[in-house]
Amino acid sequence: MREVSNPAAEPSLPLTPAVFAILLALAGGEKHGYAIMKEAALPQGGGINLGPGTLYGTLDRLIRDSLVEETGLTDDARRRYYRLTQQGHRALASETERLTVSLRTARSRTAVNGVRV
Amino acid sequence: MSRPTPVLFALYRGALRLYPSRLRLVYQDEMLQTVRDADAERSYSALYFWLYLFADLAKSSLKERLFMIRNQILARPIFFYTLALALILTLWGFPAALTLQGALRGAADQPQIQMAQNYASQIASGHLPSDLLPREHIDPSYSLEPFSIFYGADGSPLRSTGYIGDSIPTLPPGVFAYLRTHSTDKFTWQPQPGLRIAAFAQRVDGPHPGFILVGRSLALVQQQANYLRLGTLVSWLFLMALLVAGAYFLNRFPRATANPAPTG
Repeated sequence: MREVSNPAAEPSLPLTPAVFAILLALAGGEKHGYAIMKEAALPQGGGINLGPGTLYGTLDRLIRDSLVEETGLTDDARRRYYRLTQQGHRALASETERLTVSLRTARSRTAVNGVRV
Repeated sequence: MSRPTPVLFALYRGALRLYPSRLRLVYQDEMLQTVRDADAERSYSALYFWLYLFADLAKSSLKERLFMIRNQILARPIFFYTLALALILTLWGFPAALTLQGALRGAADQPQIQMAQNYASQIASGHLPSDLLPREHIDPSYSLEPFSIFYGADGSPLRSTGYIGDSIPTLPPGVFAYLRTHSTDKFTWQPQPGLRIAAFAQRVDGPHPGFILVGRSLALVQQQANYLRLGTLVSWLFLMALLVAGAYFLNRFPRATANPAPTG
């Protein structure tokens, strides 16, 4: 029996800071919730303080939008691991591209005004 | 593993009920484990830690509830449309009924206005009130006929066709004071409990100065207004029941899809 799944809708950009931080954390490999929280709080992870409520609510929507999935590999039901799907990778890449273009523009404009970024 | 503050932890676990049940069932254990992990590794004060957690819980649970409502509406738009239609019908129907009731009351001022103006004009041109007002005994408690009363310049009744029992009903003195400055007055008069009268009064100048009042019982209008209110309420309940039943059946028997999804 072949499996048929509905093609998931492309996520709308821009992503919220919380979504971007979660996708960014999972781009580095599969992680459980607390590890995502810790990485999101780091400057290189987006510097976002995610509380458990925000984290799991957002994760739930990302799973439903097929951007993130559970790995299914865990030895403890209280620590499930999550990873990016192909669509999640694409969403992160699109958002990164969008931010890169904005950043490039901001850098060029601030350089003209004599401010170093 | 360190143990988080037991009371606050128990409070936090209880407060997880603020989340929609599905989310809580799926993620409750993970959220609690995350709190334990974060508490074990925190490098700042417990007060700030728990304040932050509870603030996040309040904010995110509200957000999740709103998401849940939005999803429910999107999943079953028929309920949203039903609610919107019910609101529109209510907002349109009740003001319409109030307008109709106002029109009924407005219509009850005739023929009193016409009669009072005629009397005033004739008295002002020299006719005696006693010649104009017929010798009648109309009790508005029992009769729907218009009655007239002519009051002298000091407000004392001089001639009347209207009586309650055997006495001429007394107008509140404020009406005369108003008529002295404004010439005419249209008002609902309640000379005794349960009896409401649509009254029109006019100041009379000339050789026989005073005030002419023509009134009529509002019993019929009140009855019509009661029927209107009852009819409005029954119609509204009927429409709401019809909408709810329609929404229920439309939701229970959704349209067959033209292109069913492949299953094999």
